[in-house]
Amino acid sequence: MTAILQVRDLVAGYEPGLDIVRGCSIRADTQEIVVILGPNGAGKSSLIKAIAGLVPVTGGQVLLDGQDITATPAHLMVRRGLAFVPQTDNIFPLLTVEENLRVAGGLPPRPESAPRIDPMFALFPDLARQRRLPAGSLSGGQRQMLAVARALIVHPRVLMLDEPSAGLSPKFVEMVFARLAEIRRSGLTIVLVEQNAKAALSIGDRAYVLVEGRAAHEGPARSLWDDPVIAELYLGQRRAS
Amino acid sequence: MNLQFLADGLITGSLIGLGAIGVTLTYSILRFSNFAHGDLMAWGAYAALTLLGLISALVGSVAPIGVLSFGWPLILAAGLSMALVGGMALVLDWLLFARLRAKGQAIIVVMASFGASMALRSLLEFIFTSKPAYFSRAIQMAMPVGLGIRVTPDQIVLLLVTLALVVAMHLFMERSQTGREMRAYSQNPALARVVGIDVARIVRATWMIGGGLACAAGVMVGILVQIRPLMGLDMLLPMFAAAILGGIGSIPGAVLAGLIIGLSESAAVQLVGAEWRAGVAFAILMGVLLIRPTGLFGVAER
Ligand SMILES: Nc1ncnc2c1ncn2[C@@H]1O[C@H](COP(=O)(O)OP(=O)(O)OP(=O)(O)O)[C@@H](O)[C@H]1O
Ligand SMILES: [Mg+2]
Repeated sequence: MTAILQVRDLVAGYEPGLDIVRGCSIRADTQEIVVILGPNGAGKSSLIKAIAGLVPVTGGQVLLDGQDITATPAHLMVRRGLAFVPQTDNIFPLLTVEENLRVAGGLPPRPESAPRIDPMFALFPDLARQRRLPAGSLSGGQRQMLAVARALIVHPRVLMLDEPSAGLSPKFVEMVFARLAEIRRSGLTIVLVEQNAKAALSIGDRAYVLVEGRAAHEGPARSLWDDPVIAELYLGQRRAS
Repeated sequence: MNLQFLADGLITGSLIGLGAIGVTLTYSILRFSNFAHGDLMAWGAYAALTLLGLISALVGSVAPIGVLSFGWPLILAAGLSMALVGGMALVLDWLLFARLRAKGQAIIVVMASFGASMALRSLLEFIFTSKPAYFSRAIQMAMPVGLGIRVTPDQIVLLLVTLALVVAMHLFMERSQTGREMRAYSQNPALARVVGIDVARIVRATWMIGGGLACAAGVMVGILVQIRPLMGLDMLLPMFAAAILGGIGSIPGAVLAGLIIGLSESAAVQLVGAEWRAGVAFAILMGVLLIRPTGLFGVAER
């Protein structure tokens, strides 16, 4: 197994002198689903935003397939093969569903991009029916699918998702996660930040628990779920649900 | 009642609408009110005047096209000026606005645009004096077109040119990749970066288009009325009123609102007197802000 994404001692924060990510190291191997868990405010979102070039990085390194992509301007990340689905506001509500897909950077112009669109609609048939409607009219689950579809359409090597299950009904959570497991089989590496530890660990291969901006624990997804110490410390309340 | 106001209002209104496209784009994409937008119009008119002089010096006098008051040299000069003013807007952004935008306070950028507006206007007065100038000395006869309305050939042609520019602009925003990216960016700048949209390119496109259209409007006002350093300032309030009435970010909205304002203005001139003209845009602006701040086609800010 070779690491496609390697994060070494990453330090990042929104304001100078106020580090949120404090020397975090994680890695993701080819075709792996890596889950990142952790209490609220641990810096999970900040970590993947820093990897995506959206939070100023002051130390450490991000390597994608051995290439240093630390602090590459965010809009170029997609072209390097790193796609990111933010936690909230991850679609353009006034653009149609299809426009949301076509606006993805790095897509070739019209005639060549058409064959990219249809597979997305095949993957998420709900979206196909509404392709000409404003994305703002979609349900929460459909928006999440659209955001994932837009990330996939550029054929990334690594897909990072920030809480794709947030605010979704259990039925949709199952559906989104089933899709992710399916997508992974096509050769994609997935980094998944989740509050819904149970669902995430059930499809994940490996997991990290992030505490105060650092990866405090690492292990196979299954054993993390079974580890009583970690369960109590960081996943406690959620385990009951 | 004399229906002449319909023709006058339609023509003024279409020019207001054309200028308002730039205002609404800068507002929705760069997120500030550019008070220097009117001065880009005036600079556009003077740029075309200067280029026209150069072309005439090179090729001698050229007969006007058909019944129009101008020939191909003015069309060429106008086209070149549109590119020049677009470029000038880029330079202005690079020199001034981009630096202030990076600091993140919209009000400072707005104030800077006030300053830029005054500087640009004074510069025009300094170079060209405040005496009105004309592209052509020829007097055009207005032709009756029925219902007691009279229009000049220039007016008809420029109305059609405006219409063509508006349609082209609309298609550009709706159909082209850059247009889609501009709309996406105006809705959510942070997400635009995430999905791989090059923000710098969007900003450049916005200035080029806004500057180019302002220049086109300025040249047309110059053809139909006259060229003065203050011509842009006079258009500023109606253009802002149109951008806001139409709904910020909406190009069809800006154009329709421009027509409404133009027609209201000329109706007011006829009904209550010319001194009320400027008050109309102001009254419409206040009314919209109080009753429907999102305008005709606008959507509420998230
Ligand atoms: N845009 C921002 N500007 C300044 N500080 C921020 C910003 N976003 C987050 N923070 C701070 O960074 C810290 C970590 O937040 P972050 O959102 O990364 O945590 P998280 O682990 O994703 O939490 P959650 O589980 O609630 O999503 C918090 O203290 C938060 O206040
Ligand atoms: Mg978060």
